Amino acid sequence: MSFDELATPLFPALYNYARWLTRDPAEAEDLVQETYVKALRGFGSFTAGTNFRAWIYRILRNTFLTSKSGLTATASIDDDVVETVAAEGTPESLLMSRIDAEALRRAIESLPLIFREVLLLSDMEEMSYREIAETLGIPIGTVTSRLMRARRKVREALR
Amino acid sequence: MNHLDELTINAIADGEQTDDHVRECAQCAAAVVDVMRMKRAVRALPRLGARTSGPQSTALRSGDHSRRWPFDRRSTGSGPEVRAPRMAIAALIVLALLLVPYYLAGRATARDLVDLHTTILASAAPVDVISTDRHTVKPWFEGKVPFAVDVPELAGTPFRLAGGRVVFLHGQPCAYLLIEKGAHRVSLFVFDATVAPRVGGIERMTVQSWRARGLVYVAVADLSRADLEALRHAFGA
Repeated sequence: MSFDELATPLFPALYNYARWLTRDPAEAEDLVQETYVKALRGFGSFTAGTNFRAWIYRILRNTFLTSKSGLTATASIDDDVVETVAAEGTPESLLMSRIDAEALRRAIESLPLIFREVLLLSDMEEMSYREIAETLGIPIGTVTSRLMRARRKVREALR
Repeated sequence: MNHLDELTINAIADGEQTDDHVRECAQCAAAVVDVMRMKRAVRALPRLGARTSGPQSTALRSGDHSRRWPFDRRSTGSGPEVRAPRMAIAALIVLALLLVPYYLAGRATARDLVDLHTTILASAAPVDVISTDRHTVKPWFEGKVPFAVDVPELAGTPFRLAGGRVVFLHGQPCAYLLIEKGAHRVSLFVFDATVAPRVGGIERMTVQSWRARGLVYVAVADLSRADLEALRHAFGA
């Protein structure tokens, strides 16, 4: 498949993801644009048959991380990162029968980057754990523990 | 009883793992449903769309990266060489506007069916008529759904009928057949073809639909497509 065939259908999803990462429309546009340029240039290094979606999301994410707001986002979360989390007991029922979309949006937006991205890739982009691990370049175990903590934080914010 | 830990609850809700415990434990099943509900709410959040259209293929192929596609905020020119791609983009947008809701509705229906599949299998009593005998299950649906449910003889196939129930999808009654293949369980949703929803594809779960004799069948399972193809043949389609 050509680059166009692979990349063009992903445009709306990539832009949506970029908006959530940057929280700014203009910056998201620049980010997606730079991602496409980089992806096109690097297309030769993409191995056909492997996961193109994870590959281009990874480019977008790495581009974001080296941007000014990306550096700010990562700098502010260092203290918050504890990768190994004990999963004890069953979470109590959340009484989330009616989830307020606006409150949910705010809750996700206020998540530290490492939790926001894993939640969005899983629940909005519907990636499997393996795809998320590939995109973020982290082990699957880290994906699951971050996702668990992301959901906990969202729940706390919605309570 | 040992309850499932939070990581496992999440993995089940994410379709990454299964565990028989949720079938027996209402508390853990409720926790799985809660995570699913949150996932669904996240998925339903409005997508943040771009102010301009998608990437412009011609610019991509030309290799001229100095052109600031797809968001040319600085461009002021609108000569024919600019207008033609713009018209192509406008046509693409119109096409996308027409096709995307159709595609998304199909995917949303597939998700609803996968959620129903998971909810039913997590229930302590997944079916209302428990029988491996098609002559018991078929007449049970009479008067419950506004069409005759075709239940074929599954003897000689790898599948086994486990029972049935009535479920509602988008306000329409639908006959639900629970079919087993070894340890796997298939949800087969049967609709009257005149009101059957369009079902799209979805990751993580195999969804196969077919049409036969005025009915639409939608099978949902963690089985391969080939297995569901075999089920389709068993149902004479």
